[in-house]
Amino acid sequence: MTTGLPERDAGKRILADDGDALHFCSTCAFSAACLDSGYDKSRLHDLHVLVEHVGPFREGQHIFREGDEFNWIAGIRAGTVKTYVTDLAGREQVLGFFLPGEVIGLNAISRSRYPCNAVALDTVLLCRFSFPKMATLATQMPGLQQQLFRLLSEDIGKASLLAGDFAADERMAAFLVGLARRCAARGLSQTRLRLPMARTDIANYLRLAAETVSRILRRFQEDGIVRVERRDVEILDRAWLEDIARNVLRN
Amino acid sequence: MDENSLFDPELLRRYDRPGPRYTSYPTAPYFDPSFGEAELREFARRSNDELIPRPISLYVHVPYCASPCFYCGCNRVITRDARKGERYLERLLREIERTAPLYDRDRDVLQLHLGGGTPNFLRPAQLGQLLDSLGRHFHFSNSAERDFSIELDPRHIDAAGVAELAAMGFNRASLGVQDFDPDVQAAVNRVQSVEQTLAVIDGCREHGMRSVNVDLIHGLPRQSMDGFRRTLATVIEARPDRLAIYGYAHLPELFKAQRQIRTEELPDAELRLRLLELAVDELSAAGYCYIGMDHFALPDDDLARAQATGSLHRNFMGYTTHADSDLIGLGVSAISHIGDSYSQNPRDLPGWEIAIDQERLPVWRGIALTFDDVLRTDVIQSVMCHGTIDIAAVEHRFDIDFASYFAESLSRLQQLADDGLLILEDARISATSRGRFLLRIIAMCFDRYLQLPTSSDVTARYSKAI
Repeated sequence: MTTGLPERDAGKRILADDGDALHFCSTCAFSAACLDSGYDKSRLHDLHVLVEHVGPFREGQHIFREGDEFNWIAGIRAGTVKTYVTDLAGREQVLGFFLPGEVIGLNAISRSRYPCNAVALDTVLLCRFSFPKMATLATQMPGLQQQLFRLLSEDIGKASLLAGDFAADERMAAFLVGLARRCAARGLSQTRLRLPMARTDIANYLRLAAETVSRILRRFQEDGIVRVERRDVEILDRAWLEDIARNVLRN
Repeated sequence: MDENSLFDPELLRRYDRPGPRYTSYPTAPYFDPSFGEAELREFARRSNDELIPRPISLYVHVPYCASPCFYCGCNRVITRDARKGERYLERLLREIERTAPLYDRDRDVLQLHLGGGTPNFLRPAQLGQLLDSLGRHFHFSNSAERDFSIELDPRHIDAAGVAELAAMGFNRASLGVQDFDPDVQAAVNRVQSVEQTLAVIDGCREHGMRSVNVDLIHGLPRQSMDGFRRTLATVIEARPDRLAIYGYAHLPELFKAQRQIRTEELPDAELRLRLLELAVDELSAAGYCYIGMDHFALPDDDLARAQATGSLHRNFMGYTTHADSDLIGLGVSAISHIGDSYSQNPRDLPGWEIAIDQERLPVWRGIALTFDDVLRTDVIQSVMCHGTIDIAAVEHRFDIDFASYFAESLSRLQQLADDGLLILEDARISATSRGRFLLRIIAMCFDRYLQLPTSSDVTARYSKAI
């Protein structure tokens, strides 16, 4: 597996661009729901639910900003997205990270504006859906409505990682296990994780100091739990991580 | 080593062409002047963002020398004015103050090297100030593995001075010798007695330095087999932990001091080779391991052990055991390697001074590495440090098909294989014992930049491959 090397071909590595007018891309967050309801992609077109492939967003480019008018949600086809807010003092608070196959913009549902910023951490490609149109479609497709609720619930669940008073290594372990599970759910490797986010972003998200994140990873590495090479983390002892993380993850 | 198989004069003559030393790839002449302070700051920021940021190696260049050695091609300024050293140090301290904050504090300094010129042009007290400032602005590792080394001119330091250096934290030293033959010393203006040299070596040992390196040069004017044999015997008897036997590169168009060397006194190509062969034979017989390029080490020296376990690395300071650190270069002409970038300070003293005085970081030129650069660096490192390329490992690490990506290199390597320098197999490429003395030539097959022009004539800039 390639490590944190300079980008070779934009978005080529974890890209699902295998869809077309009739077939869903393999990482599509909605394909199962649509297919279960008996809707193939061509039918979506008939219902005027247009799936727009947008991007590439380059590292550091914003996808939407807090206060922008909310019109669409988007599934990630490739790359990683970070959401964050800034406090009155201008300090950034990271809300979460989104991987290929996951959906951004869900926390804007039922509002008129995005309540946070979304920025590309590497080269990002998206599928954009008009939310008003998707909402209409969901009333006609129970499977789709269910899928939307499930995505929303997952989104909320991710945030609860920080709710309790957990030790630093518990948070770190839960972060890694959480990512591994999410990768597995999307058909990506759950033993070799790629973490394109800066350690300061991870630290911010977990409410730790950046030095602490590195110190814990270094210790995990020395103890043979993981192997870190630049932005790649290979999980060597998943059971150990799950054990440490159980207070936080609760499942 | 079978001396006959190592030295085929015809072969070596054919391959005795100019080539880089590959302490970096791409090499410095291909650095781009449009890479400046802003770019360096960005790479420094990114290097802090790694999950486990790399530790730091520091290099400090002290360009001053009291007298000119005629063979020298290093970046140096000849002076006996100690005040120049004082003013240089003042600016170095400011460069340190401005540079250190770019790097997160939890990144340990595992390696520090002072080179030049003559680092001990600065008095021990001044070197102490320098180390003190570095220690305050960076975080020195407490590990027993840390390497703090200094190049020394034995003519300008005594045992007491060495004791001070050891006390301030230096645990390795590298001494210039070149040749003890008085005729040769006269021809290159470096008159240095055996006694002076041995006194410094003994001082280093006595004050707990972990290793001592001695530099010799073959190919100097008036060198002879007898004289060099005596030099080698004297040096081997002192049993330095490491030895470097550089080949003299006569490039008087580039290096003014070399114009004082009379070309008719230079050994011819055959004598050069025999001198090198003599050195290799004597050192092998004395138990030294050949590390690569021009370097030899005793079997229980860290470099020899690293080579045996395959963990040897190569950077601007030559061979090292410290892989994967970011290198910060301080002082005139110093080169830095931060993440996927290289950058270099101005090579002229006024240029460096102006930048410091204008409160800027003294970045003269640099380069942001592409995927192709990083891949080729990995392969060239492998050649220079191990004499082999593990093709499957490269394919796995970089997700390429070696044979198609490097089709052009492979056709060049085929010719080297036909000449007996290396063995080409599907799974690996390995230098033969003959090839191990021509590693640069093998590495050059992977150098994409050799065909490309720079602003100046690059070919003449490189020393010959032997």
